[in-house]
Amino acid sequence: MTSTWKPLNSPAADDYIQRLTAGGVLLPDTPINLLEVVGILKSYGVVLGAYAENLCFIADDQFLELFPFFKYFNGKFSWPKLLRHWWHDRINFEYAEYCMRTMMWHGGGGLDAYLNTPAFAQLAEQAIQAKLKHNPLMQGLHRLFPDFLPEQIRQSAYYSTLGQFWHVMNEIFISLSDRYDGGEVTSIPQVVKHILSGLVAAASQPITYTVRIGGKDYEILPAAAGLTFLADAAVPYVEAVFFRGTPFLGVVSYNAQAQQISPDQANFAYGALYADPLPVGSAGIPPTLLMQDMRHFLPEYLHDFYRQGKRGEDDLRVRICQSFQKSMFCVTNAAVVGLAPYPLNTTEPQQQAANQKYLQAWVGRMLTSQLPTVQE
Amino acid sequence: MLSLLIWMPVLGAVLLTVWPSKLSAVRLRQIAFIIMAVVLGWTAVVGYAFTSSDASLQLREELPWLEGLGLSYRLSVDGLSFPLLVLNSLLTWLALHATEAKIQRPRLYYALILLLNAAVSGAFVAENLLLFFLFYELELIPLYLLISIWGGPRRGYAATKFLIYTAVSGVLLLGAFLGITWLGGMASFDYQPLLTQTIPVVQQCWLLGALLIGFGIKIPLVPFHTWLPDAHVEAGTPVSMLLAGVLLKLGTYGLIRYGMVLLPQGWETLAPWLATWAVITTLYGALMAIAQTDMKRMVAFSSIAHMGYILLACAAATPLSLLGAIFQMVSHGLISALLFALVGVVYQKTGTRNIEVLRGLLNPERGLPIIGSMMVLGVMASAGIPGMVGFISEFLVFRGSFPIFPLQTLLSIIGTGLTAVYFLLLVNRVFFGRLSPQVTDLPPVTWGDRFPGLILTGLIVLFGLQPAWMLNWSQATTTVLAAPLIRQPLITQATPVISPSSPL
Repeated sequence: MTSTWKPLNSPAADDYIQRLTAGGVLLPDTPINLLEVVGILKSYGVVLGAYAENLCFIADDQFLELFPFFKYFNGKFSWPKLLRHWWHDRINFEYAEYCMRTMMWHGGGGLDAYLNTPAFAQLAEQAIQAKLKHNPLMQGLHRLFPDFLPEQIRQSAYYSTLGQFWHVMNEIFISLSDRYDGGEVTSIPQVVKHILSGLVAAASQPITYTVRIGGKDYEILPAAAGLTFLADAAVPYVEAVFFRGTPFLGVVSYNAQAQQISPDQANFAYGALYADPLPVGSAGIPPTLLMQDMRHFLPEYLHDFYRQGKRGEDDLRVRICQSFQKSMFCVTNAAVVGLAPYPLNTTEPQQQAANQKYLQAWVGRMLTSQLPTVQE
Repeated sequence: MLSLLIWMPVLGAVLLTVWPSKLSAVRLRQIAFIIMAVVLGWTAVVGYAFTSSDASLQLREELPWLEGLGLSYRLSVDGLSFPLLVLNSLLTWLALHATEAKIQRPRLYYALILLLNAAVSGAFVAENLLLFFLFYELELIPLYLLISIWGGPRRGYAATKFLIYTAVSGVLLLGAFLGITWLGGMASFDYQPLLTQTIPVVQQCWLLGALLIGFGIKIPLVPFHTWLPDAHVEAGTPVSMLLAGVLLKLGTYGLIRYGMVLLPQGWETLAPWLATWAVITTLYGALMAIAQTDMKRMVAFSSIAHMGYILLACAAATPLSLLGAIFQMVSHGLISALLFALVGVVYQKTGTRNIEVLRGLLNPERGLPIIGSMMVLGVMASAGIPGMVGFISEFLVFRGSFPIFPLQTLLSIIGTGLTAVYFLLLVNRVFFGRLSPQVTDLPPVTWGDRFPGLILTGLIVLFGLQPAWMLNWSQATTTVLAAPLIRQPLITQATPVISPSSPL
């Protein structure tokens, strides 16, 4: 969030804030929005499950492997899998790593703080010594460059944290889809409520990370560090991936020398909520990778809905991206409601003022995102 | 054999018009498409019978008609006309495919397209000046109707302007043909006997002046060009493809066949002025193209600029430059037809051709990526990028013309640079960047929409990589055509880099 706050003077912002305080939602509650959001969260859930599994595999089994050639194979290498990988008929795990690196780059939360403590340095050094026990070359290198391997372990910690976070989100989204299929979820407010309940239920779930080296466990993120799901994984993730993002991998070219990119990372607005669903044809756009992955797991009702569009299958990824952004506004909506300092329906004037300030900060940032677009 | 190229489409047109039962527009298009496929196939048969090493007029057909008037039905083909015949058949076939399936008044439309094809073929194979003139004039009628009935909002203005300009062109041609025959002391308008005429140089210059203005309107050369951009803008896509691809070539063909060959001394006298005129046409066309905001107008002015190269090559009249002129006619026919076909698809899908409105059409999901890719290739070919026909034709033109008119050639080369400027502006504005808000919800493009473009793109690359397959048709003819005009080059060289007989 931005460090300085000033009151917003925008009718659109007032409208969103009124909606939220009245128990409403950011995304208009329409049958089509519901179909898109639930359908896309189903496929996103499946993809997140795969991402989470791979991130945890890399954190646990590729620990301090400097050349992890087959890290995307989850330890199950085969030639047909390699050929399929080269053919790109696969899940783009690169997107998961992109999100992990974005989180690591922007930092925030208790994880970022803990990774710079002496306690972490000590635990990391123990793991390094255990890993390099029979590798004099690496030991020499570690002495020469003592910051290199701890930084690799910090990255592994982010791999593991994001993997654990997405594992929870995968369950929330799949259960949402099941409830929708069973007729329990029939509106966007119910979608937001479902996500909020999931986040609240998992809020205090501890985030820990332990690696096994030579038959012995080494803690990297111990339970004693007090890292929890909501404050140390969910909030930094939303901030880094939904809001800030990274300008160099976006769909628009920026000229850093011309000061088109803010020198303050807190002012970045290149995240998923701001992404332009229309790619310009340049290469290697991570959001596009996610859309590619999700198109493999679209529920049939959503796929049919896309097919009925003017371009049919041609612009599937654009439409997936648009639906995805709608769904992410529901997730953000749930996070905003869940993190509010006081219940949003409070009648206490002081609490209302605090909520108003809190909501203005969030909504102010979303005014330039795709939020106005999804209102149409 | 050649008669079938004229009469098959005529019979097809009659068939479409008098077919007793009610036929849908789609069915009529299919029938017209099949008829033109047969004509195209017959063109291939003519190609099989055509001997490329023989420079003389071949496959001759002769029927007495109005002998008293000097008009006879004489047809023949040589290395100058055969590539243009192929171009005519191919582009008409593709133009039919580029026609909207549900066009209004389809019987008349398809009949007129077939008649246009027949008239143009007739003009290319006519071996009698009056017969050429008849076909030349006959072609005006279907073209006028195609623009005035199926054209854009200002079709009446554009069609009338076209008719007036081309009618003046016809009058001048007829006057020049009469002059050549009478002053040459001939009783007939037959082509072959006129090759032996000995008209004094001054009179040749006057006659050539009439021919130059007459054909200059058709080509068109600056300042007789103003009808062309209007006609292109108002004409539908298939008509624009034919107009730029084939019909303009009637002018350049006539200039070589009846101006340069029949009046060689006059040609030689006026050649420096013609080369300068070519430079003016090229640079004016290119500069005007830069200023356009309508894609079609830009391609139209590009056509004018590229016609300047042909005039330059004709003015130089070396075997190599004439080979370049013929290759440039075909090359420009393929490239301009491609560009107009693609602009047509852009207009059909987006509803606009305005360069200031369109953006990002290369978008892989919501834009026209394959159409855009072909457009990029087309403009590269037009700008003379190696590997495509544009490079071969322009290189031949410049290489062949440089020894005779070095300054004019160098100035014309600037036109090539300007081509890159305006087409890069076009591609950069229309196809790169983010899709403009007005065009984010375009209808899908079918493979049928892409078909004409794909065929033309394939040929542009194929003949760009293997130009000898086409040059072989014309090499012997250009050597003979240039023979009366072989002059001392201003710039000499010790060893010829390319000789007319060497394969390219």
